[in-house]
Amino acid sequence: MGSKSMFKYLLRRFIFLLVTYIVATTIVFILPRAIPGNPLSQILSGLSRVAQANPEAIRAAERTLMEEFGLGKPWYVQYFEFITKALRGDLGTSITFYPRKVIDLIIPVIPWTLILLLPATIVAWILGNSLGALAAYKRNTWIDKGVLTTSLIVSQIPYYWLGMIFIFLFGVKLGWLPVQGAYSQGTIPNLSWSFFVDVLKHYIMPFASIVVSAMGGWAIGMRLMVIYELGSDYAMFSEYLGMKDKRIFKYVFRNSLLPQITGLALSLGGVLGGALITEIVFNYPGTGYLLFRALTTLDYPLIQGIFVILIASIYLANFIVDFLYALIDPRIRLGQEA
Amino acid sequence: MFRTMIRPLFKNKKFIIGFSIFLFFLFLGIFGPMFYRVDPTEMTWDYEQPPSSAHPLGTDTYGRDVLAQLLHGIRSSLYIGFLAAIISLVIGTIIGSFSAVKRGIVDDVLMGITNIVLTTPSILIAILIASYLKVRSVEMVAVILGLFQWPWFARAIRAQLMSVMSREYVYLSVMAGYSDLRLVIEDLIPTIATYAFMSFVLFINGGIMGEAGLSLIGLGPTQGISLGIMLQWAVLMEAVRRGLWWWFVPPGLAIVAVTASLLVISTAMDEVFNPRLREE
Repeated sequence: MGSKSMFKYLLRRFIFLLVTYIVATTIVFILPRAIPGNPLSQILSGLSRVAQANPEAIRAAERTLMEEFGLGKPWYVQYFEFITKALRGDLGTSITFYPRKVIDLIIPVIPWTLILLLPATIVAWILGNSLGALAAYKRNTWIDKGVLTTSLIVSQIPYYWLGMIFIFLFGVKLGWLPVQGAYSQGTIPNLSWSFFVDVLKHYIMPFASIVVSAMGGWAIGMRLMVIYELGSDYAMFSEYLGMKDKRIFKYVFRNSLLPQITGLALSLGGVLGGALITEIVFNYPGTGYLLFRALTTLDYPLIQGIFVILIASIYLANFIVDFLYALIDPRIRLGQEA
Repeated sequence: MFRTMIRPLFKNKKFIIGFSIFLFFLFLGIFGPMFYRVDPTEMTWDYEQPPSSAHPLGTDTYGRDVLAQLLHGIRSSLYIGFLAAIISLVIGTIIGSFSAVKRGIVDDVLMGITNIVLTTPSILIAILIASYLKVRSVEMVAVILGLFQWPWFARAIRAQLMSVMSREYVYLSVMAGYSDLRLVIEDLIPTIATYAFMSFVLFINGGIMGEAGLSLIGLGPTQGISLGIMLQWAVLMEAVRRGLWWWFVPPGLAIVAVTASLLVISTAMDEVFNPRLREE
């Protein structure tokens, strides 16, 4: 019974995942074709402006693009080709970095984003939840009020603006840390100790700005969750039974953490697209920075490619979360979704 | 309604603080540009000046007055926030209440759409759409943002209405032959009014934040000034690394102050109207 319901549940989630992915890629497909002012002609006129030196290269680029956009073919053929290519990881050719493939441009920048965001997301989660639980435990004391007020304000600071403030304070005014990039200009990434230290120095500010701005939201959520849980029947009942506060709190804490774990999993899924602008502010060579460069040069194949990758990674993470959650909580796979 | 809803709010300290700060910025946005009559787009030779009596918040690389930009920026950011919030609220209410009232296939389809939009990261789709539009008005940016932030609200409304629908007075109305529309407007909407207002406040928040994010990567309104556009210029012109703090600190502070005050308002409302959160 257990495994059967699990299978049915997963199948349902998988179909939803597939439908969602097709809807999203369809949007990516339709937009450039639906919006007046054919982007392809823009691209081509832009191309001829950029690379006057080599007319042969332009003609080659034109041919590649015509072929990739499938112009001249009926729309359903174009659509079918687009979707199947996207599913295979063929995202076309970049214009700005012609003739490099979009996928080859995206793959090398992903590690930088992951290195920055995975630890930042997890650290923010741990700190935020601890603070939130502490505030709820010390409800209506100055600790609670302090944590709540700071969290409310900090959670509303745009993460990139906090990054700008950090650059100004610790980079420009105090001169403690380098103000941009992932490593010093001119150095070539290698496995030496000095390179590691260099990377670490460049890492601190973007990391800290993401952690600080994400912490507040977790703290507010956790505090609220614990307060709700403390008012629930089992917590009240334990209290009437004379159970020690500390012990009740332990149970309450564990139960409150469950939804926060879902939240963590979801934000881990969104990690690739999570702090696009931090990378722009710090000139940090990740997916956000690549997207920014693609946007400023209107490199549509690259823009679309990044979207397909980001969206796929987010949906996949969603699916994994659903799976893990069904493992932990049988009520979900038995079809009592909220 | 005044007695039961408004008065308890004004007894809550948090609400008063949040509301006052928000009102202050609302007034700055509405009346600021009328009193401080400096053209925010006028370029002068007085460029990159720190705050002085001639320019209370200094000037940027093009010699434009930062205070004038800030006041106009607050105005248009609030405008975008409001507009996006109204759009999200309307879509969310319609979808949520239709789902709850019609049930069956209508419910399935609408919730399917809602879930798809919910799982799709809205800022990414907003970026994608904006990148294809060569000219973007302030209103268009608001529409792009408003189109994607309604799903959680629609789901909450649906859940809430479902529970209201099973109460006796609703049965009585149904027996009395109320049409679906009348049922929604007279019996159902009032029960979600406070929740809708709280959500509206958070939608404004989302709109302001969304505009700032879009503008910073160069996809905001193509004309005019907003808080996000100020930040974008500051980033483009390396204001941060060159230490021109008066250029990028004020717009960021304004964003934080407005959005934090709105969040405080919504939290305070939750405390006032939600018995479980009431302070003993």
